[in-house]
Amino acid sequence: MTERMLLCRLADIRDGHSKGVAPDRCGRDRILLIRQGTRLYGYVNNCPHYDRAPMAWKKDEFLNGDRSRIVCAGHGALFRIEDGVCELGPCLGQALTPVNLVVEAGAVYGHDVPSERCVHGASGSGRKTGR
Amino acid sequence: MRIIGPDELVFGVDNVEASEAFLTDYGLTPAGNGRFNALDKTAISVRPKDDPSLPAPMRTATMLRQTIWGVENQPSLDEIEAELSKDRKVAKADDGTISCQDDAGFEIAFRVSQRIKLNLPGEKINSPGAVPGRAANEIGANEDAEAKPRTLSHIVYFIPDMDKMANFYIDRLGFVVTDKFTNTGPFLRPQANDDHHVLFMIQTPEYMQGLEHLAFHMQGPTELMLAGSRMVRKGYESFWGPGRHKFGSNWFWYFNSPLGTHIEYDADMDKHDGDWVEREKPMNKENSQMFLFENVEKWAPGGPPPGKG
Ligand code: FES
Ligand SMILES: [Fe+2]
Repeated sequence: MTERMLLCRLADIRDGHSKGVAPDRCGRDRILLIRQGTRLYGYVNNCPHYDRAPMAWKKDEFLNGDRSRIVCAGHGALFRIEDGVCELGPCLGQALTPVNLVVEAGAVYGHDVPSERCVHGASGSGRKTGR
Repeated sequence: MRIIGPDELVFGVDNVEASEAFLTDYGLTPAGNGRFNALDKTAISVRPKDDPSLPAPMRTATMLRQTIWGVENQPSLDEIEAELSKDRKVAKADDGTISCQDDAGFEIAFRVSQRIKLNLPGEKINSPGAVPGRAANEIGANEDAEAKPRTLSHIVYFIPDMDKMANFYIDRLGFVVTDKFTNTGPFLRPQANDDHHVLFMIQTPEYMQGLEHLAFHMQGPTELMLAGSRMVRKGYESFWGPGRHKFGSNWFWYFNSPLGTHIEYDADMDKHDGDWVEREKPMNKENSQMFLFENVEKWAPGGPPPGKG
């Protein structure tokens, strides 16, 4: 069995929206989740374009305008929600790393969540600064 | 060719509301019609991506639709029009703005700059052995400072053919190379601007062509830290920084943005004139920054260990 980690409650993710979870010690969310009705998708928050690049433009904001694709707010790369494949942008043809998810009693767990790492200086979405 | 620098960058975005909120929180001032001004009225404009008034999009992910360069005066503009008309179609709008594509296919335009001359104090510091920057009782740490971007500083393109692109700006528009990262691209400044760079480029495959980042100058390092910390507190995604670059010496702090590009605060960039001899270094972590910091939760020294008081 691989180690599993409690990520959030299913009800914490608005239908059709995304959420960043599993912050590292700098406050950077390691995983992004997207909920579409009963389906849930999870990927490592790491754009294939740059080494260890976080993708949101704001806390929990990982989707494009009409919420049909995952977008990297670094340079606008677009990824399919179903399989994380990049369809347009600097990492064309590459894919996000999926996370194995389990939902139990309304709680979302992830397997093999990447270990802690702080990169590129300042913290991500502001958890550490009392947002 | 008396080009001053980027006057306005025009974007076609898929999330106008998010882009407008971002630019406002970043510190630019909404000026109507999707335009957001720095203090000197250089600007970013955002419109819906299907707005018919926008130049055609690139086939890549970039949302940048046009780079408008500001020039000193009408004779400079006429000179550019004459030069570029030699080998390409140059359109002229009613307001006199001329537009065309550069040699990499980016939409570019030129106009007599709309920027106003700023007359503002710089960051004032006290340094032993030097005349104090601040008078007695004048406080340096002002948490309520406005921290507004002063002027559009520079842009960085991803481009498929670095030499072709650089030569266009050097040979046709009179830009000067200040420094160079080997096999990556040159830092360029135009003739009517002494900033270390207003344009930099990074060689990439064709499907990546677009905008790597744009930056506005802040008053100084303190204001940069203040503005960046406010962005982090609002939940925006810090990408790289704060830190200080080597080439250009500018302090930096980069953020992700809904405009599909990194948006940087910069401060205290080097200035150069014709006596400067360009340097060349390989692009790597060591050469890219002098130092890099991490923003952490606030803390204060105190008395006994927690829970023992
Ligand atoms: S860092 Fe994600 S598109 Fe460049
Ligand atoms: Fe920069």
